[in-house]
Amino acid sequence: MPSPHSSGSAVNLEGVSKAYGRIKARNGLTFNVGEGQFFVLFGPSSVGKTTTLRTISGLVIPDEGRVALHGLDVTRAPINSRGVSMVFQSFALYPHLTVYENFAYPLREAKIARPEIDKRVKETAEMLRLAHRLDRKPNTLSGGEQQRVALGRSLIRRPQILLLDEPLTNLDAKLRHDMRAELKRLHRQFGMTIIYATPDELEALSMGEEIAVMRDGRVAQKGTPDELYEAPADVYVASKIGAPHMNLIEATVTENGNVLKTGFGSFDLDRKVAARAGDKVVMGVRPSDLEIAPTKSADLSASVQLLEPLGDVTIVSLGEKADNLRILLPESRASEIKLGDKLPIKVDARTPTA
Amino acid sequence: MSPVDEQQPQFGTLAPDNWKLAIVVGLAVSALAILSLPVKDSFWVTGAMVAMVAAAFVVNAYRRHYYGGLLVSPAIAVLFVMNIFPLLWSLGLSFFAYQSNQQNIRFIGLHNYEQLLTNDLKAPELWGNLTNTAMFVVLTVTAQMIVGFLLAVLFAKQFPLRRYLLILVLTPMMLSVVAVGVFFSYYYDPTFGLLSQAIKAWAGGEQFILMSNKAGAVAGIVFADAWMWSPFVMLLVLAGLVSVPKYLYEAAAIDRVSSWRRFWSITFPYIRGLLMLALLFRTIEAFKLADLVILLTKGANDTMTISYHVIRIANEQNKTSEGAALSYLLLFVVIVLTNLYLYIANRRARGN
Repeated sequence: MPSPHSSGSAVNLEGVSKAYGRIKARNGLTFNVGEGQFFVLFGPSSVGKTTTLRTISGLVIPDEGRVALHGLDVTRAPINSRGVSMVFQSFALYPHLTVYENFAYPLREAKIARPEIDKRVKETAEMLRLAHRLDRKPNTLSGGEQQRVALGRSLIRRPQILLLDEPLTNLDAKLRHDMRAELKRLHRQFGMTIIYATPDELEALSMGEEIAVMRDGRVAQKGTPDELYEAPADVYVASKIGAPHMNLIEATVTENGNVLKTGFGSFDLDRKVAARAGDKVVMGVRPSDLEIAPTKSADLSASVQLLEPLGDVTIVSLGEKADNLRILLPESRASEIKLGDKLPIKVDARTPTA
Repeated sequence: MSPVDEQQPQFGTLAPDNWKLAIVVGLAVSALAILSLPVKDSFWVTGAMVAMVAAAFVVNAYRRHYYGGLLVSPAIAVLFVMNIFPLLWSLGLSFFAYQSNQQNIRFIGLHNYEQLLTNDLKAPELWGNLTNTAMFVVLTVTAQMIVGFLLAVLFAKQFPLRRYLLILVLTPMMLSVVAVGVFFSYYYDPTFGLLSQAIKAWAGGEQFILMSNKAGAVAGIVFADAWMWSPFVMLLVLAGLVSVPKYLYEAAAIDRVSSWRRFWSITFPYIRGLLMLALLFRTIEAFKLADLVILLTKGANDTMTISYHVIRIANEQNKTSEGAALSYLLLFVVIVLTNLYLYIANRRARGN
């Protein structure tokens, strides 16, 4: 789903590296973000997401590599020339200023006339539903309100590029959901380029027009949410994207090359895998691609170990060892299953392997 | 912890932990002794009563398992003996006519205070000492605040050898005042002093006598005092500066805020309270300035301070009770001043 604005590239990183002591925060990182795109940097904590954002904003100067904004090299340019705004994970609200002053702060320096500042502050507050909180200090606000203040402070300058560093991590689940929708709406409204760092796959998949999965300061795979979900490039990406996580089963390829033998039984693949007979491979199957089948047509079988009802669906974990299978069943089917039942499983053959 | 131990003894019962009874009896016996016995004897009786009440508190605390109170009691006892008791004792003395080199002692009520406030204060000597003190307060505190603040801003940054320089800069504060006084009197010495030598080498002439007039003497004392106590201000301000979260500066950088505005709206709120504290401490201390004056000028060239004056009349002239009365007047002034500070500080804090 490419954005209608995407013409040139708003942000371009090329071979960027930064080391803190002996620890490499980023390691030859390269990626490209289109103009007006909602781009998500996804990966577990300490993978270099924050440092990447800080490099783009100019808080960090990389050891190697090149950073370009709108086609201009800004690798060593000062922060204030970049037209980049950032929302910090900690919000970084100015504790001694009211919400109004926090909003007005970035504008004051830009020599904007007072009536204009006042107008913009009121507008922003209205948009973020903070109009009744303008004369409060940040520490008297709830987490969600603080988050919106941080967002408003970044938006009020109408930045061309907005960096969001795990902005929803400190919020509760309900608020997170609301803010996700809010952010998408703001992106549509202003059309700026957004780079959004998150360790939450749901956030990544639901918000990103394009997602870069990061690993050890590098991009492991970049693509649309569908691409990442349907065709993960490697086991790492496969294990990070999708909830519940993809089943990764160790298997052995049999002589004819298209039958896999697993701890749960063996089954036929529709296509040949790129491995020779006898090779050990890791097979990835989405829980939603497994179903209970009549015993005859079943490929695998295993006994039920754990049931996790989530409302309309239930996650069923099968198998005895650490090596287990999760399948997703609709509530109606799952209610018949008890712990210890031996279930016949059919594999939807579209599943990828690695 | 048996339930019996939990119970307080009845007021009437004679028990070692009956502290309520001990207080009542102690007060009654002390009052009787003061009214009927000579001052010298009633002193010891009252002292014994205080010890009795203290013992009752300790036994009570032990039996009721108030170990927290029990553990701080030695500190409280020392504080009482070394601090609170002499304070109250001198307050008492200020209502008597008493000289430490004479035996007789006579109760004269508020006469000492009356004398000080009506006659002595009009005398040029005492008034001059007061204005000198005020001048020292303003000069030393201003110098310390400015130098201390600038040092703190410097040491809040990272630079090579920062740790070692910090130790060096903090040293003056930890030196004994006597050492500082002796050091500076050598430094200012007309014949051998570094200052005199340097000026001779640079501007020629005979020797340079810094302490030869009032301005020079005051400058010498203020410099020594500022040298010694600026690190104290620095330490407090530095604590405030390092407590400012780094991300606020980063956010300000992203928001393209100028360094001047960044200082006033981010840094300053974090150090305002500590600056106020430093100001308070240094003002109180400057009010008591006597040691450096004694060591550097001995009060010559009109550099007498009011504290030095108290020391003179109480110790050298043996006018003990007059000295006590004057001390209490000074204490009153300091309390009024500090409360004024706090009032202004709190009003500012509320206003913002």
